[in-house]
Amino acid sequence: MAQTLKLNLLLNLVLLLLFQLSYGTLVFGSVFVQEEEFSEELLLKPLPDRKVLSHFHFESRAPPSNTHGRHHHLFPKAISQLVTKLRIKEMELSFTQGRWRYEQWGGFDPISSNNAKPPGVELWAVFDVPQSLVDAYWKNLTHTLSGLFCASVNFLESSTAYSAPEWAFRPASGNLRYGALPREAVCTENLTPWLKLLPCRDKSGLSALMDRPSVYRGFYHSQRLHLISTESDSDGVDSGIVLEQTLTVVLQPSGWKKGKSYAGKTNMQPNWSISSIFGRKVSGKCILAKSSNVYLQLDKGLVCELKDLQKENAEYGANNSASEHSFELSVNPDKVYEEMDNLHGKSTSVMYEYSVDKYSDSQPFDLGLKWKIPVVWLNQQAPLHASRFLMGSGNERGAIAISLRSTDLSEGSGSTNAINEGCELQVDIFQVVPWYIKVYFHTLQVYVNQQRRAMADVVKKIHVSPSKDKLSPGVMEMILKLPCGVQSAALTIEFDKGFLHIDEYPPDANQGFDIPSAVVSFPNSDASMHFSQDDSLKKSPLLSKFQERSRVLSYTEVLLVPLTTPDFSMPYNVLTITCTVFALYFGSLLNVLRKRAGEEERLLKASKKTGRLSQLLSKLISKLRRRPQEPLPSSPAPSSFVSHKVIFKILVVACIAVAWQYYF
Amino acid sequence: MYGSLGSRSPVMVMFLLLCTSIAFSASAETTLHTNNWAVLVCTSRFWFNYRHMANTLSLYRTVKRLGIPDERIILMLADDMACNARNKYPAQVFNNENHRLNLYGDNVEVDYRGYEVTVENFFRVLTGRHETAVPRSKRLLSDEGSHILLYMTGHGGDEFLKFQDSEELQSHDLADAVKQMKEKRRFKELLIMVDTCQAATLFSQLHSPGVLAIGSSKKGENSYSHHLDSDVGVSVVDRFTYYTLAFFEKLNMYDNASLSSLFTSYNPNLLMSTAYYRTDLYQRNLEEVPVTNFFGSVMETIHTDYAYKILSKKTSEKVKIKMPSEEPVDHNERRSLQNSNVQDQTSDTKTEAQQCPFTSTWNSFNKKMEKIENIDSLVSYGLLIMLPLLLISTWLSR
Repeated sequence: MAQTLKLNLLLNLVLLLLFQLSYGTLVFGSVFVQEEEFSEELLLKPLPDRKVLSHFHFESRAPPSNTHGRHHHLFPKAISQLVTKLRIKEMELSFTQGRWRYEQWGGFDPISSNNAKPPGVELWAVFDVPQSLVDAYWKNLTHTLSGLFCASVNFLESSTAYSAPEWAFRPASGNLRYGALPREAVCTENLTPWLKLLPCRDKSGLSALMDRPSVYRGFYHSQRLHLISTESDSDGVDSGIVLEQTLTVVLQPSGWKKGKSYAGKTNMQPNWSISSIFGRKVSGKCILAKSSNVYLQLDKGLVCELKDLQKENAEYGANNSASEHSFELSVNPDKVYEEMDNLHGKSTSVMYEYSVDKYSDSQPFDLGLKWKIPVVWLNQQAPLHASRFLMGSGNERGAIAISLRSTDLSEGSGSTNAINEGCELQVDIFQVVPWYIKVYFHTLQVYVNQQRRAMADVVKKIHVSPSKDKLSPGVMEMILKLPCGVQSAALTIEFDKGFLHIDEYPPDANQGFDIPSAVVSFPNSDASMHFSQDDSLKKSPLLSKFQERSRVLSYTEVLLVPLTTPDFSMPYNVLTITCTVFALYFGSLLNVLRKRAGEEERLLKASKKTGRLSQLLSKLISKLRRRPQEPLPSSPAPSSFVSHKVIFKILVVACIAVAWQYYF
Repeated sequence: MYGSLGSRSPVMVMFLLLCTSIAFSASAETTLHTNNWAVLVCTSRFWFNYRHMANTLSLYRTVKRLGIPDERIILMLADDMACNARNKYPAQVFNNENHRLNLYGDNVEVDYRGYEVTVENFFRVLTGRHETAVPRSKRLLSDEGSHILLYMTGHGGDEFLKFQDSEELQSHDLADAVKQMKEKRRFKELLIMVDTCQAATLFSQLHSPGVLAIGSSKKGENSYSHHLDSDVGVSVVDRFTYYTLAFFEKLNMYDNASLSSLFTSYNPNLLMSTAYYRTDLYQRNLEEVPVTNFFGSVMETIHTDYAYKILSKKTSEKVKIKMPSEEPVDHNERRSLQNSNVQDQTSDTKTEAQQCPFTSTWNSFNKKMEKIENIDSLVSYGLLIMLPLLLISTWLSR
């Protein structure tokens, strides 16, 4: 009995163990079973020039199709088909209108580095196909995207429009293609298909805020689509497709004019709320979204300024914290994050988080910010401010100049230079120039602090692929190593203007031609932000995106180059002039050849000799005969002679014809 | 001389071919109406041509409201007016001073825009000759049962329409494209509506059957804009389109207003030009054709007892529908149908004889010619006869 009991117990134990083990493996397995995810987030940030930045971030994830099939619940089918068919590893497409003002809106944070895009359309993609096929896949991609987003992205198909940067645009990329259309218009028809990729479209959730007139009334808007796929990757890690859709809009709060009219308070920031910016409120989250959050970010410069104000207040005897005194939020935040700055330990930017979960139609979410005291601050800048301009005049030649200016206004450059002599600032420049701007790369000149320097001193690496007429654009990639305390640096390069074929001119050729923005990046500067509460941060794609290491990147202005435009009415003018000349020449020649001066004189004399009566007679006869006047009485004789001649001629011809017919 | 006599047989063959091809095209007319498509083109660039874009967008809105889905509308806009820097109302386009209706809305799908609106692309859309990479949304995927509305607006003149101030579409080109569409069986019926100056001249070269054309003005006339919006700063709609829209605003998808009622609704005094219709290529009676035939997507539903049965011809369908109920009658019908088919064939040959009287006389002449043995003598006689004729003519012309 006891033995059997023991056996039973043992068996039970073994069973239990087995069960637990199996359960454990099940649990372990379920961790790896990913589901399609969607999350929506909105970041709001007051800007120093009385504007508000709103940054929408939507992220959809699809598990790899080889383990989960091709059926999707949330992930847009169009995108997954695009990825699998065109074997895309990574792709970014952006539609932008307006120019990002790096000096006012910041140049060092993740938004300005990743979301501030050049005007028009910019597209780059990395393909997972052999080198020889990349161009064909790129062509198909441009056509597909033009159909998807109602834009003329297909103009990037021609080999004159895109290039293959090797290292300056993105580090270490093989099958990369890059193209930009600076003059592409961006409007509702581009935003609508972009919104249709979201599971809730623009019907509910944060995307319902996107009232078209208020979005397009903004100073800057950039709509971006970024996708990474590890589908076709040979690596073991396979996370499927991650689709990141962002819309960055800089808007003017509508209450700004009221704020301005405050007597004397010229530095007063405008009070705003979500409803005053977009004209709508957030009525709950998109039900399909895993997380739906709104963030309010206060910039590093602003927080620093507020702390200074607090100190002043403390001197006057006020003890409350700065934020409570200087501004007021209409809704209390659910969480507050503070950025960790390892280097300085100074004041850093603050992020307030609001979860939209608890709000509904009856109780909409409307975050408002009310300023109590005037504040002035500056956003953090990139190490150098890049701008590009044209030099020279005339329609024959010119020069492009890229100027880099130090943004470090407060600190003296000499002192930093003294501190570390060996310190160097690395700057990557990538510029594509269309073929009709024929750049002479040997004319490249480098100026540092307004003094000309030898190329080898400054340029560490350069890669140039000259343009080929009507085949490929000119590409310039270079790495500059500048001393840390540099005040200004400039690059100039000369070019000749080419001629296009008459059919190649656009309908508005007289407006000039746009040269796409150059990309200036600082690989040694890290644009990422680090926050204190790391556990909950992992859930937020927006914040985890902010924490990713990325280099500081900025775009220069688009250049407008006037080219010699032909006078399109010229062919017509040439035709008319040549025809006139021909007519004059041949007319006068015929006149000279045919006119018989002697006979005319004789006719004149004859008309003088004969009296009036004979003239009248001849007129009458001519009228009767319905023929031009032949004023000579002796006219019958030659006329009969002529008729005889004609008859003779006809007879001869007829005879010849008969003879020919008879003999041959 | 021998050549001309010998060439008579190819000429005969040609005539026969012509007759048979006419017979074939007549038989193709019996295909069912399958779907509706719309190609809406605004050909003008620059801000001051705002009204042309408003015209096109108003038509876009109308056909969408009357049931043509976005994937069957090809919208070509030559410039961006809605988000133009000069537009005081961003992302909005109005066709009326009262600003009651934002034509741009939230859901507009522009298929060709900006520099893409060229004569070449326009013809590629019509004739379907695209590169393989071009997506489906940019193609006109119509079939032989499609009714297509082609609306164009811009600046035109005598037998041409300007595209973006740099290219021209000529009436010959348009006629050729339509002919090619017909040969490729890309449409059953086509309505071309043009709102430009001297619009009527654009139709002068059309000769494909099944084509109906409406133009805003006759040759030598201008088409004028309707009114100016002082807020937008430019004229917002053209007269012809304005009154077309006024007609359609009263309608919904299920109205049976006929095309002739649309045509008679144009008042030359209000248009300040004479609307022109070309109906000679269109077989059906305009009184019976509802406007939704082109401007909407109203399908004729045919009930069948069996699901998933594709029926190609109307006549055979009708017979099959009646089959289960009355079988003996059906047999008779079928027989009579066959008989009628035979009759049709005989009548076809008759009509052939009637239609080509020239060929018959030519035949008899040829036969007579063949009977004559000595052709050379005939030729010399002919020359001899010509001589006095020449003499007489020269004497007369003295």
